[in-house]
Amino acid sequence: MTIENAWQRLSEHAEEMKSLHLKELLKDEARIHSLKHRHDHLLLDFSKQRILPETFKQLTELAEVSELTRQIERLFEGDIVNQSEQRPALHTALRAPKSTQIEYQGRNVIDEVYESLERMKEIVTQIHAGQWRGFSGEPITTIVNIGVGGSDLGPMMACKALAEFKATTEQKLEFIFVSSMDGSQLAEVLDHLNPANTLFILASKSFTTIDTLANGATAREWLCNASGLDDALLMKRHFIGVTAVPDKANEWGIPCENQLHFAQWVGGRYSLWSAIGLPIALKIGMEGFRQLLDGAHSMDKHFRNTPFERNLPVLLALTEIWNINFLDIHAHAILPYDGRLAHLPAYLEQLEMESNGKSVTQSGEPVTRRTCPVLWGEVGPNAQHAFYQLLHQGTERVMCDFILPARRYDEHSDELKKQHRLALANCLAQSRTLALGDDVIKQAETAPAHKRYPGNQPSTTFLLDELNPYNFGALIALYEHKVYTQAVIWNINPFDQWGVELGKVMANELLESIENQETGNFDGATNALLTEIHALNQFCQYKDQDKAS
Amino acid sequence: MKIAIWGDELAAWVSAVSLAEKGNHIYMVRETHNTALIPNDTSICNEPGLMAAIQAQRDKKQLFACSFEEGCAFETHWMAMAPSEFNQAQTIIDKLVTRNKRLLVINQSNFGIGASEKLRSYLTDPEHQSIAYIPDTLQQGLALYQFNNPDVLIIGSDTDRTLPLLKAIFRPFSGGLEQIQFMSPQEAEFTKFAINGMLALRLGYINELANLADQLQVDIDLVIQGMSADVRVGKHYLQPGCGFGGQHFTHSIKSLADLLSHKQRSTLLEMVLSENEKQKELPFRKLWQHYQCDIRDKVISVWGVAFKPGIASIENAPSIRVIKALLAQGAVIKVHDPAAMLELHTYFGANSQIIYCETAIEATLNSEALLLITEWNEYSSPDFDQLKANMKTPLIIDGRNIWEPQYLRELGFTYYGVGR
Repeated sequence: MTIENAWQRLSEHAEEMKSLHLKELLKDEARIHSLKHRHDHLLLDFSKQRILPETFKQLTELAEVSELTRQIERLFEGDIVNQSEQRPALHTALRAPKSTQIEYQGRNVIDEVYESLERMKEIVTQIHAGQWRGFSGEPITTIVNIGVGGSDLGPMMACKALAEFKATTEQKLEFIFVSSMDGSQLAEVLDHLNPANTLFILASKSFTTIDTLANGATAREWLCNASGLDDALLMKRHFIGVTAVPDKANEWGIPCENQLHFAQWVGGRYSLWSAIGLPIALKIGMEGFRQLLDGAHSMDKHFRNTPFERNLPVLLALTEIWNINFLDIHAHAILPYDGRLAHLPAYLEQLEMESNGKSVTQSGEPVTRRTCPVLWGEVGPNAQHAFYQLLHQGTERVMCDFILPARRYDEHSDELKKQHRLALANCLAQSRTLALGDDVIKQAETAPAHKRYPGNQPSTTFLLDELNPYNFGALIALYEHKVYTQAVIWNINPFDQWGVELGKVMANELLESIENQETGNFDGATNALLTEIHALNQFCQYKDQDKAS
Repeated sequence: MKIAIWGDELAAWVSAVSLAEKGNHIYMVRETHNTALIPNDTSICNEPGLMAAIQAQRDKKQLFACSFEEGCAFETHWMAMAPSEFNQAQTIIDKLVTRNKRLLVINQSNFGIGASEKLRSYLTDPEHQSIAYIPDTLQQGLALYQFNNPDVLIIGSDTDRTLPLLKAIFRPFSGGLEQIQFMSPQEAEFTKFAINGMLALRLGYINELANLADQLQVDIDLVIQGMSADVRVGKHYLQPGCGFGGQHFTHSIKSLADLLSHKQRSTLLEMVLSENEKQKELPFRKLWQHYQCDIRDKVISVWGVAFKPGIASIENAPSIRVIKALLAQGAVIKVHDPAAMLELHTYFGANSQIIYCETAIEATLNSEALLLITEWNEYSSPDFDQLKANMKTPLIIDGRNIWEPQYLRELGFTYYGVGR
């Protein structure tokens, strides 16, 4: 069978399926048994997707003819899967056991990985023991991670998700994440921080990211003003650089011994497993960080070795391809029913939309089918009071991921356990109502139109036994491999992001015009806005002068 | 009077010999087969005059060792047990009430507020049995003198019935007594806590002021003289230094801090404790700043590791934090203490970065800084010429303000004190 045949067959199957409502499908009690799959401590329930077992069969055939098996091997073996940048994408190597062998450019990449972990451990041990000293000799107690995109979202998400697993440390550690280019986050935190015990982690793969370096420069100036000490000394005691380009970090002034390195083959949005994960290791300790890596590795092995019929990332990818390409659903909501996963939606927005928001194939042709949908989300119970109205009664078709841990608060009060049960009940109630509509209640048809619920919104339920570093690692790796699987089937490159480059170049040109208060030769709309901005700033200057005189 | 003494704390031994010296027959309850009258804790053995006094009272047949069973037979008991031994205390009282119709237990253990009340619930005949609480205000190093010459005696008792007996026991020690105060056990327990808390606050406050004086280049000594002259302030516990340590004092403050935090969300004493932990590292910070954040491979001398002079204990001592910081930064430490070297060795073990020295002066050879942590008398007037000749860099960090800054500077030393 050719790829086109497979797509064609699925289109025909979709025509039959489109008319079937989930409430019909769910009448089949046996359905759940063939549509739920487990790996380790994670269960995926596809029974509320608009599919039949037959659909999965045809979808896996599509995966097979798309050479997914070979492409998975290429990913793990370190082949050039990132064509446009001529690089492998070896995030799986970051969590592989020490005995693994993966050659790239004549070197076993695992050696590099473990060297970096070793250095990370030294830093973590020193800070946890209260023996990383600031300029005054006080121990570091506040860690400010300055990074953006992959250097921010992954560590920030994991630190929040795994806060309960925090390591035992000599001093209580505070973690702050700063990313915004305009300095508004940084200015706010610097106000209440003590320079003597604050350590900045500057995380940037290229170490040229303007957002990060601008925040870094502000932090540097703040420390200098507060201590009156020379810059080299402050760099030594208060800055750690995490980068794939050591020369650039040197240039910026970070001493070698304060740098943690990772390889160019680690993509930014796949980097929380690398030295970029330093804040995570500081939060949950090296053992916790290892568990995170082990959980992800377990998912790696599952992805690589399990037949597609039971392969969680593959089935998840195929389900969404079915929704996007055959059922015309182009919105995807991420709905964790656990406040600890509050940053997961933002993380997945980058992982999915930056990876698969592409419209040319690996060979440079325009794609002929839709790729990544618009993806957004929020902690489920909060979203119920925000955008669920649209899910229940709007005109958009939306597919949803309901993510929830079955167990929580084992050691806590009865009231908190009750709150968890409340969240569980809400999660099940929402996915059920979205699927069945008002079929869940009796005599719904007598209600007025504005009280009717059409249902038929598909969803996948992700049931974790509990949220811990291992399971969290597995969950994130699941999404990574889902993204890769979709990219293979769509024949696009998930590891580059050329779409974000042009904006940066434009910003540099505009910055010059803003600094020099020139109108510049841009389009009419931009020129007009520049004129407004200049006028408003000049007005403020006059006012300041007035006050001064 | 025949009195059984329970516990192996300093207060137990000091009470035992002091009461024996006044003619009482004292029975120390020891583990079975342990008839030696030697405290288990070696730091108690170092209490000035204590071992000789024990020996003397034993020879005079005023002081005896006895078994648990024998101890239970007496009517009058004195308990000075460790704060962690509350459960044992309950067991003992439970046993005592089955053996004695008449019973007086004088409890001097720091079990915390409300402990006497709990113990009292074990009494079976409140008409003839009672428990009194006497706060333990003994300071290590001065304990014998203080027990025998109290200024104020606080007795916590729920019943007037036992007062004659209590007065009889304490009368021989009331020569210089200014006041004897009776109150409920709970109030007496609270008083003990309150005194310690107040002392900690004073120490915390003066250390804060000394650190500020450092910044403002003011001599804290002169400020303290001025403060002390005001009778409302007084002169006690106003010596700045690199933090207080010890087991009981810290434990007591911690208990009170927990109680304050738990009952009324007050962080006042927690703050004092955490600032004290920071203060313990002050000598390290001064060294760190002097050498611009790099002391790798430098030889640093440390004088004094006991948590205060006169004892061998390093429990919660500032020296531990300082040595840990020096080790972490890769310095080589030459250390001396007149009494606590064994404890220090037990704590840190063999370590290529620590050189345990037999004499103070030996510890300064090739040194690039001398850190004085514990103000032992023998460190008061060292041979500064020899010191300077020994040291590679004549830098002194005086964590207890025992030396004269101007004199040392004239001798060519770089001197840092606490607040001067």
